[in-house]
Amino acid sequence: MTRSPVLGRFRHGYVAPAAILVAVLLYAPFVWTAYLSLTRYDGLEPPAWVGLDNFVKLLGDPALLTSVRNTLIWVAGTMVLPVGLGLLVAVLSYDLRGGVWYRVPFMLPYALSGAGLAMVWSPVLSHDGIANLLLGVDTAFLQEAPQNTLAMLLVWTWQQLGVNTLLFVVGLQSIPKEPIEAARLDGASGWRLFRHVIWPLMRPLTAVVVGLALVASLKTFDIVWVLTQGGPGRNSETLAVTMYKETFVASEYGYGSAVAVLLTVVTGLASYLYLKRQVR
Amino acid sequence: MFRSRVATLGVAALVLAACGGNGTATQEKKTELTLYNDKGAWTKYFDEMGALSKQRIGLGMKPTGYTDSAQYQAFIKASFRTNVKPDLFTWQTGGMLEEIVKQKQVADTTAVWQEAIKAGDLSQDLAPYYTIGGKQYCVPMNVAYWGMFYNKKLFDQHDLTPPQTWDELIKVADTLKRNGVKAFYHTSVLFSFVWFEQLMAGTDPDLYDRLSTGKAKYTDPGVVQVMERWKSMIDAGYFINPGDKTDPGDVLKNGKAAMVSFGTWFNTSMTQRDMKAGTDYGFFVIPNVNAALPKTSMIFESGPLCSLTKAADPEASMKYLKWWTSAEAQEKWATSRGDVSANPKVAIQDEALGAVTKDAGSGTYRLVNRYFEATPPPVLTAALDGFGKFVTEPGSYKEVLETIQKAADEYWSTHQ
Repeated sequence: MTRSPVLGRFRHGYVAPAAILVAVLLYAPFVWTAYLSLTRYDGLEPPAWVGLDNFVKLLGDPALLTSVRNTLIWVAGTMVLPVGLGLLVAVLSYDLRGGVWYRVPFMLPYALSGAGLAMVWSPVLSHDGIANLLLGVDTAFLQEAPQNTLAMLLVWTWQQLGVNTLLFVVGLQSIPKEPIEAARLDGASGWRLFRHVIWPLMRPLTAVVVGLALVASLKTFDIVWVLTQGGPGRNSETLAVTMYKETFVASEYGYGSAVAVLLTVVTGLASYLYLKRQVR
Repeated sequence: MFRSRVATLGVAALVLAACGGNGTATQEKKTELTLYNDKGAWTKYFDEMGALSKQRIGLGMKPTGYTDSAQYQAFIKASFRTNVKPDLFTWQTGGMLEEIVKQKQVADTTAVWQEAIKAGDLSQDLAPYYTIGGKQYCVPMNVAYWGMFYNKKLFDQHDLTPPQTWDELIKVADTLKRNGVKAFYHTSVLFSFVWFEQLMAGTDPDLYDRLSTGKAKYTDPGVVQVMERWKSMIDAGYFINPGDKTDPGDVLKNGKAAMVSFGTWFNTSMTQRDMKAGTDYGFFVIPNVNAALPKTSMIFESGPLCSLTKAADPEASMKYLKWWTSAEAQEKWATSRGDVSANPKVAIQDEALGAVTKDAGSGTYRLVNRYFEATPPPVLTAALDGFGKFVTEPGSYKEVLETIQKAADEYWSTHQ
């Protein structure tokens, strides 16, 4: 194909507006945050260069350990619950007559935003809430760790299950019928059919679903912020909540930026390692 | 080629000029001012003030209310560096005010204060909260005295009267407990500091003041004893569960707790719930824990209304602040919210609040700056988290105090 001389000459011009937007709105703040992480800055006085002090402080901060622990619970929990259950619901409802109607209730909560979701569940999980009333117990769902993180994970599952189910159903529908029929003729069925035929064929889609869930769980913020604000104390904080609190609540912009850099590195590294493994 | 470059430069210059704001523009004359605040729930009252000011001084006011304090503060700080500046904004006294005054961002209101004190519109006692380096900055948007709101019907039902001493308060709590009623409200979020400041101020107000200036430590024996007293009260079963998300106004109305400690602004929550002062609820000053103290310590707060040195129309902003302190404006402000006023001339309709305001102005109490304003932001953040942890795990008080002290050490090492 020959390149159009007109398009060739101006091709940079066509890309420029989008490139400038991305540079100004994405890369510049990123570079600025990375710079701030090496300073002490209260949002008013000019940033004072402190080198790696914020990172050294970060590594010795017991609150960070709690944040990392909770973030890991979020990642592991997301893989088991919204992703794992999503796959289960998709597989079990796939062949059912009218299966789509079974999936509809799972889909509806996805329309809610994270903050809206938390607002809906707050009166359910609070100490005087509906959950305690219905279950006839006196449990502090949102107070003790790690059960507060687990309770929020269940809320997250309630919302995310539907979309994961839908994606897995799309994956199931995209599998060619021939290999499945061939496997059935060879006597495979049930778990064996799923494990050796269906699951390998769904791998590209599973990679996408797990990848998205991984990134979403690493940056969990809104649901935790609205339900517990990372507390009581700091026992339900995730890395994203720590970043927000240090930056905007404590006005420690430098330290908060260091948490942001750490979160970016962790998310980037986890995504890279996961995707590298998937495309191998 | 040369012409096309000139044209490109011309377009770029126009774009930059459009983005560059009005650095050299002539000063704007305003007829309506913007008022940014972190009291989103009070928009109705700000609107009423805007309508009145338009009528009286020809200057309208449009409020923009935030409900998240952290977001609000970040916005105001960011606005100092841009051309999007509020004409008026609310802030906090103490370290937060000092911080922005040091940056030369806040307009000097010394003249407004002098005139208002002379006219009897502001009290001299209030001036220290607004004085930095001998000059005043901002004017009081509101003042509030902290005490105990109580459910009068519950008190009547159990033959209880407002206590005069700490022992009487504990007796009231015991009586309520025996009758299956929780005595006090507390919470693990935001207002987790309330009982700490109350017990500290009522036990050793000097130590409380030294804590807020970094001259005492949270691990000092006096502070530890206060935490132990607080723990013993929690262990005794006087408090509702701190994870209860019921609005404190509803807690008091439905009797989930018989007493709620808040500033006089909490009165607005009562009036909004159609509760009648003296019939449905009452207010009393919380007695000192330490009966030997010469004066009863009363937590006090005052929220400033400020304007910027680089305001779009500094004259109009200053005119508005001056009007805000007048008896006419304060009468409207206090009456609409059912709260007290910074202007001593304003008559308070609520009998109990009127008495407190009068006594506080006459020096009956030792006014103690609220913990929220008295404590520097990084220490406050650690303390709010710490007290939030403590109320859910009372046994953790030593660890909590050590964590707060760590934040305090770090802050005061660079801010003394």
